[in-house]
Amino acid sequence: MRKWIGFISVLSLLIMAGCGGSSSGDGEGGAEFPQEDIEFVAPASPGGGWDGTARAMQKIMSDEGIIEENINVVNKPGGSGEVGWQYLSGQDAHHLAINSSLVITNNLLGQSELTYEDFTPLGILTTEWISVAVPPESEFEKGKDVMEQLKEDPTSLKIGVAPGLGNNDHLSFVQAAKEFGVDIPKVEFLIYESGGDVVSALLGGHVDVATMSVSEAKEQHNAGKFNMIAVSSEERIEGLEGVPTWKEQGVDMVFPHWRGVMGPPDMTEEEIAYWDDKISEMVDSEAWQKVLENNEWQSFYKDSSESKAFLEEQTKNYDELLSESGLTD
Amino acid sequence: MGVDFQNVIEGLMVSIRPLNLLWVLIGGFLGTVVGMLPGLGPATAVAVLIPITFGMDPTSALILMAAIYYGAMYGGSRSSILLNTPGDGSAIAATFDGYPMSQKGQAGQALTISAIASLIGGLFAIVGFVLLAKPLASFALRFGPAEYFMLMLFTLSAIVSLSKGNMVKGFIAMSIGLILSTVGIDLQTGVHRFTFDIPQLSEGIDFLVVIIGVYAVGEVLYNFIGIDSLGSGKKKVGKKWITKEQWQQSKWPMIRSGPMGFLIGVLPGAGGSIASMLSYTTERQLSKNPERFGKGAVEGVAAPESANNAASVGAFIPLLTMGIPGSGTTAVILGAVIMLGLRPGPLLFENSPDMVWTLVNSMFIGNIMLVIMNILMVGLLVRILDTPPKVLYPLILVLAFIGTYTLSYSMVDFYILVIFGLIGLAMKLLNFPIAPLILAVIVGSDMEQNFRKSVVSHDNYLNIFFASSVSTTLTIMTILSVLYPFFLGWLQKRKQKQA
Repeated sequence: MRKWIGFISVLSLLIMAGCGGSSSGDGEGGAEFPQEDIEFVAPASPGGGWDGTARAMQKIMSDEGIIEENINVVNKPGGSGEVGWQYLSGQDAHHLAINSSLVITNNLLGQSELTYEDFTPLGILTTEWISVAVPPESEFEKGKDVMEQLKEDPTSLKIGVAPGLGNNDHLSFVQAAKEFGVDIPKVEFLIYESGGDVVSALLGGHVDVATMSVSEAKEQHNAGKFNMIAVSSEERIEGLEGVPTWKEQGVDMVFPHWRGVMGPPDMTEEEIAYWDDKISEMVDSEAWQKVLENNEWQSFYKDSSESKAFLEEQTKNYDELLSESGLTD
Repeated sequence: MGVDFQNVIEGLMVSIRPLNLLWVLIGGFLGTVVGMLPGLGPATAVAVLIPITFGMDPTSALILMAAIYYGAMYGGSRSSILLNTPGDGSAIAATFDGYPMSQKGQAGQALTISAIASLIGGLFAIVGFVLLAKPLASFALRFGPAEYFMLMLFTLSAIVSLSKGNMVKGFIAMSIGLILSTVGIDLQTGVHRFTFDIPQLSEGIDFLVVIIGVYAVGEVLYNFIGIDSLGSGKKKVGKKWITKEQWQQSKWPMIRSGPMGFLIGVLPGAGGSIASMLSYTTERQLSKNPERFGKGAVEGVAAPESANNAASVGAFIPLLTMGIPGSGTTAVILGAVIMLGLRPGPLLFENSPDMVWTLVNSMFIGNIMLVIMNILMVGLLVRILDTPPKVLYPLILVLAFIGTYTLSYSMVDFYILVIFGLIGLAMKLLNFPIAPLILAVIVGSDMEQNFRKSVVSHDNYLNIFFASSVSTTLTIMTILSVLYPFFLGWLQKRKQKQA
């Protein structure tokens, strides 16, 4: 008897599972989106900014009841985002991935076939600003001084950057250097594996100048361990009122280190509208403000159509800077 | 820096709150378990727990994550000793003598001594932390590219000179490891090397996959070849408690290795693997009977275990004094506490001393809990040896694949795992030492990058070796460690002639 009960319950489970599968799989016309669990792809290992963004979105959208469905975060590290984004390109609109400038520069550097045009941009969420820092005893008091020195002799300073050439920290420095007419391909960049390594290299005096995100440098600057001499933001940053922007130093440049979200290619208009709705609701929540504050991110929200225009404009800028720095022809 | 003992006491009070004690216990237990399983390391365990820490008080979260980290140092040696399959880089050195001990029927004693050694190393490091955190942090900063390069070169030369009588094979194994470590994007130029357009290879071959492949899969394959001849009778597990003689033999090695491991742990990026390898080779060279090493010498288990646990405590110094993560695991921990609104930086000691000292005290309590927990588990763990091979080896294989998948959730790693399993088998059959290969994979890419950075920084190439007092010392030690076996051989020959 027991055997039969077991058998029947297994059978009924299978049938139920089968039904569930078919109703969600086919997506009968007119059915409401979403019909199944949501998945956020963090194209990196846990612990970094991409992962942090995905997990913060997951938590807020669930906690605030913005999305009823289950939300999962999956980590797909590898190839500077390539692995995660390749995975996304084969999914449907229930899957989103976090992105950043790498979705543009990987392609420009010839490291990826994919560009943002192979996906559906859904929003730009946050930005960090990028700073240039020197040891406290350094002769340089402003970013301008560094650039003028480099113009005279591009090999006279060692510049620390992480985690690779062609990233935001590197390119923001290149853009400023370009304005001063520095012979950029000759500049000696030392590439470290992580922002933390750049901080310790600068603290230990192993590099003369470092370019890194403001959040990585802020604590050290406030403790007097090193001196921030330029930031890439439009206006001076709250809590760092003593640090001049590049604009004030005569360089017409605002350089964000943004992070956004995108969906797979060929999303329907309803699906895009759904995500615009949900993401803007999340961005307006108090919990999101708290996330921004904790991580020292700035709000940089752009909806799906604004994002598309923004990415187009960014691509032009990155293309120019990469060839300026000698990384592409 | 004068230590404010009032803060230390206040921290102790917070850390013995029942809830915090519970977190230490849970973290230590989890750490021990993931440390034991091949491939599942503390970094993965902490990463998986990040969502759970969201609602927690930052101090409790930090206590929990730290406990996982040093708990894994206790657990890591379990599978090294019993099955010859280390779960992490820092547990490799425990296989050298731990596995021979367990084959000699002293598994119980090996497990006990490694737990005691971990405790002693941990306690040394905690005392070091309390007294020396700040001066050590600024000492660590003096390590530039040239110094790191020399430290890694020294470790590699020490490990190669270890394979005495077999130095050529050791050197070949190391060279293969160094070649493998060049796979991936070259940081200094952004060029993809040997990636064959496989994006998963662009960040290089994860050394953990190599460890799991060569050790766990290789060991299973090796045993599979001889599975029919394996005796099904019960293996002796021997006594659980250590003898007086064993204590005498391992007392000083443990005490020496603690401070040494601690110092290496403080250096950002060096970590437990280098600490445990160096303490093992040091003890072997200091020993009066170095020939006992590798054949089940109890001090060969005690020294690296003391060192790696001390290193895991040391790794918190750059994190807490400067906000710089010193290892893969502390990087994940840093990410997690930032999400909680805490920003470890140079001012953490000034701004929230209570939190720092609570953590340090919890480490003290945690180490004591862990040693009790691990000794109690010895009786249970040695039963693994009674498991019939037909059950045990498939189980290890399953764990190896699961562990590999959790590293970067990619199928490509499975192929790499199988390839390295075959390489491991071949190395065992041809009697090649495995440690030089693994260590070269672990430090190879950092070593190369540091070398290239130091070439850029120093206009004269030779300056790399004598750039500072630190690198000069390391250069001399490297030369000595390479010459030492030859010197020993020459000495023995002379003795024979005289006799």
